[in-house]
Amino acid sequence: MSLPDTLKMFTAVAALSVAASVCAQAPDADTIVERANLAAYYAGADGRSEARMRIFDAQGNEQRRQFTVLRRNPTPAGDQQFLVVFSQPADVRGTTFLVHKNVGGDDDRWLYLPGLDLVKRIAAGDKRTSFVGSHYYYEDVSGRRPDEDHHELVGTDDEHFQLRHRPVDPSSVEFAEYTTWIDRETWLPMRIEYRDASGRPIRRVEVQKVETIGGHPTVTASRISDLVGGGHTDMQFRFIDYDLGLPDGVFTERALRNPPADWLERPGS
Amino acid sequence: MKNALLSFSTGKPRLVYVLTALFVIVTGALIPRIHIDTDPENMLPVDQPDRVFHNQVEADFGLRDAIVVGVVNDGPDGIYNPVTLGSLHRVTAAISNIEGVIPPDLMSLAVADNITQGEAGVLRFEWMMREAPTTRAQSAAIRDAVNRLPLLEDTLVSGDGKAAAVYVPIESKDRSYAIASTIGDLVADETEAGQWHVTGLPVAEDTFGHEMFVQMGISAPLAGLMIFLLMWFFFRNLRLVISPMIVAMVTVIGTMGLLIGMGFTVHIMSSMIPIFLMPIAVVDSIHILSEFADHYRRGDDARAVMRRVVGHLFKPMLFTSLTSAAGFASLLLTPIPPVRVFGAFVAFGILLAFLMTIVFIPAWVVRSSDRSLASLDRLREDAGIDSPLARFLRRLGRFAFSGTGRITLAAAVLVVVSVVGVLRIQINDNPVRWFKSDHRIQVADRVLNDHFAGTYDAFYVLTHDDPGAWTRFADEARALLAGQDTDARVAGLLDSAPDALDARLGDIIVAADDAAFDATDPGVADRYQRLMTLAEEAQVEARYFQRPAALAWIEEFQQALAETGLVGKSNALPDVVKVVNRELRSGESLDYVIPDTVPGVAQALLQYQSSHRPQDLWHMVTPDFSRTAVWLQLTSGDNQDMTRVMDAVDEWVADHPLPPGVNGRWAGKTYINVVWQGEMVAGMLYSLLGAFVVVFVMMVVLFRSIAWGMVAMLPLTFTIVGVYGFIGWIGKYYDMPIAVLSSLTLGLSVDFAIHFIQRCRELHAQLGSFEAMSVAMFEEPGRAISRNAIVIALGFTPLFLAPLVPYITVGGFMASIMVLSGAATLLLLPAVITLGRRWLFKDDSKTTEASHVTP
Repeated sequence: MSLPDTLKMFTAVAALSVAASVCAQAPDADTIVERANLAAYYAGADGRSEARMRIFDAQGNEQRRQFTVLRRNPTPAGDQQFLVVFSQPADVRGTTFLVHKNVGGDDDRWLYLPGLDLVKRIAAGDKRTSFVGSHYYYEDVSGRRPDEDHHELVGTDDEHFQLRHRPVDPSSVEFAEYTTWIDRETWLPMRIEYRDASGRPIRRVEVQKVETIGGHPTVTASRISDLVGGGHTDMQFRFIDYDLGLPDGVFTERALRNPPADWLERPGS
Repeated sequence: MKNALLSFSTGKPRLVYVLTALFVIVTGALIPRIHIDTDPENMLPVDQPDRVFHNQVEADFGLRDAIVVGVVNDGPDGIYNPVTLGSLHRVTAAISNIEGVIPPDLMSLAVADNITQGEAGVLRFEWMMREAPTTRAQSAAIRDAVNRLPLLEDTLVSGDGKAAAVYVPIESKDRSYAIASTIGDLVADETEAGQWHVTGLPVAEDTFGHEMFVQMGISAPLAGLMIFLLMWFFFRNLRLVISPMIVAMVTVIGTMGLLIGMGFTVHIMSSMIPIFLMPIAVVDSIHILSEFADHYRRGDDARAVMRRVVGHLFKPMLFTSLTSAAGFASLLLTPIPPVRVFGAFVAFGILLAFLMTIVFIPAWVVRSSDRSLASLDRLREDAGIDSPLARFLRRLGRFAFSGTGRITLAAAVLVVVSVVGVLRIQINDNPVRWFKSDHRIQVADRVLNDHFAGTYDAFYVLTHDDPGAWTRFADEARALLAGQDTDARVAGLLDSAPDALDARLGDIIVAADDAAFDATDPGVADRYQRLMTLAEEAQVEARYFQRPAALAWIEEFQQALAETGLVGKSNALPDVVKVVNRELRSGESLDYVIPDTVPGVAQALLQYQSSHRPQDLWHMVTPDFSRTAVWLQLTSGDNQDMTRVMDAVDEWVADHPLPPGVNGRWAGKTYINVVWQGEMVAGMLYSLLGAFVVVFVMMVVLFRSIAWGMVAMLPLTFTIVGVYGFIGWIGKYYDMPIAVLSSLTLGLSVDFAIHFIQRCRELHAQLGSFEAMSVAMFEEPGRAISRNAIVIALGFTPLFLAPLVPYITVGGFMASIMVLSGAATLLLLPAVITLGRRWLFKDDSKTTEASHVTP
């Protein structure tokens, strides 16, 4: 490291410690991550939303997906259940994922493929595989467990807390670290940037639109970009509703073959 | 013009020097702007349909040029041991970090995804080898996993498990030599893993470009040095023999400088321009020097002798230059851009060399001191007239003019044998063969293709086209919405025919969905729902290669390819669908089948996209499923082998017609090579015939006689047939360098004939008798021709040391052309002239009678 760099670093660190002492009320990194996790994945006791996904590859080809997500979390920051039912394109309609997210251990995942008349357990294994060909990973959909990373608050400005996260088990992920910008008001992560071991940005998530629905600030548009291979996925959420009182039965293996039409239907239709 | 040039060159030698120096400086300054181009694709014009389609396919499927890295381990476990796999893991990671490599598309066991059945039939996607195994058992587990995945087997690991490959896609092929060198350094530290090899077409091409550049700096100067030494041997006068070297240098620098300065890239062919120009530039100079040396006596006025020499050499030299230039200019008739550039600039260089020869050489000689020219006198007394060569030529001359029957018979036999050889010529090319067989690229190519299904790619691209699909849908949609106040977005989308049907239908589905939701009237909502269904149906129908029947055809096609024995392996969409289906179901081979419904296929593919490498799917099929590529791996890049595959496919497709609306077309580098070679073979034939006719007309004009014109064509005809007959007999493939050398053969072999005939007629007129002429011909003219032949033939022997086969070929050609056209000129011409003297020398009947009496 050259001398000017060292100086810059030193000044930055000094400035940060000043900033930290000025904003004495700033919470510590773990608390921020906890709040952010709740804001992003635990709004309400349950919820539904309809996602439209447009996947663009480096060649500019486009694919679309449309699915409805039902979510239930009996206890805040606790175990969760997700049901993801595809409606578009027509040839995958009815394809369903069921996820039981267990805070204390591995998630349980199931898959239903109507075209093959098949219900299948998906091994816990690697959650950082593509979600149906998009640039989102399974883990982005259901949330990464806070205790899987070491968190560090690296900056605070008027709008955001800036945190750096390093994986506890670096061999389980493709990144070396990631940085999040968390909105100080809504606690929603507005931007996430993943870097590899050489510090090169490899992947970026950007929230493009936030709306307050049922009192919960909710992301309604976001984009994730592959900074290595090119290409990106745009996700748009609509018909969002919270605290519907979704029953347990919606999230059982049996429900896979018989999707709960009442709950999947758009509100107001 | 001749006189003006001569008085200029002998009268103002200093000015000649200055102008020459200026020309060299200006053109030489352009040379550093050189841009090397080794891409065989450029053998076809940019708008050539096959090239356009090939590029479209590369864009559609995101296909990149790839460097192939291989490691071979002959141990009992092959590459499935912790050391080799660990090494493979490290090397793969290091390669991903090389600038210019495209990591997401890199293929290696270390970044491959594994789809398996976990315990209790649980579906599992995981990296094949996130971390390198540390035990023998773990390595064996990887082997078992690979053997279940037909897309990996024989592509990433050889069938015998002894070799593993890494396919390294690169952003630009211009960087492949640099990247390949970096990889070479990386694997140099990993020798415990096994023997490493680096190859692939882009490496071969770029390495060729690199070595070609080196050869321009080594072979051409070495040939120059050799020619210099030989000339010194013949003329024993350092000052004199420097002048042809200067002429050659000026010609080469001027021509290459102009080529580069005019913005042309230096292609494999144009890199050989210096080597082609050098002999041609030297040939004329040797004629002048040879005659000057024979005529100059101590105390003579060098200027006067030079004027006399150039005076009677001017016409034959002009014509030999014009004919050689015509031979090369005929390459403009070929459809191959780099060959056209090559032909045009060699033709230009030949004319430049002619100009330089008659301007610079006299100026140089005139500027030489009497003392330095005096050695020529001694030379003639010592060796010139009584040298072994001179004595041999006199004997040869007596034989040539008396043994007419034997000579013509022998020539006829040789021609017949050669024609048979020509008919045996095998047309074939493969850029990897441009390296010598012990070159590391050739070695790597052999080893890797021995183990794997092949490092050469070709693609059979199937495209489904249903031109009526949109109209059918749009008519139905409009009928459905008739009489209704149509939603503006929906109406806009139905208005015009789309470029991309799948995307437009997707837009309509979204718009109809929204319109249905927004509609307050349930009837209207229902109609938009029906529109949505209509669009969905049209979309599913247009996604042709998701249909089980379409996949079944491809499956059968792949089976047929395998049965030909010509294809190492084929990879296509059915392979993916079948693997996923198998792992989704029992995991047993009975489920290694295509699902029987469209949703079944679509959902299997959705699962495939849930892996770590979803993008791999789009290398096989376009996201709208209207076009799919069958990737053929071939163990040979020979055009002959590719042609055999194409013939086999044509035959099979004739018996198993493509489904209606589907067309099949070839793409891929191996195919492109076949295309330009086909164009070249036809083009060269055309060009050679064109040149032949032009040269014949020029001969008739030069000698003002059809008979003499025909005689003049004999040596070049004999030489071309002889050289190509020889190639046919020894079984050397007729490839691009060999094809282009035909113009050199034509251009060079007519030279001796022109000089010979011109002098023959002059001497006949001068001496007034056929016999006197026949003796005189084998003095100074015979010596000039044979000196020339020897200098050129031997001068290019350094090319035999080059690591690149085309350079060796040129060396061999030069020698053969010189030997054959020299022999044809000195033996066949006298024989034919003797036979035809009645017609050739019409006013010579008296001496003819006499010659029979006194031999």
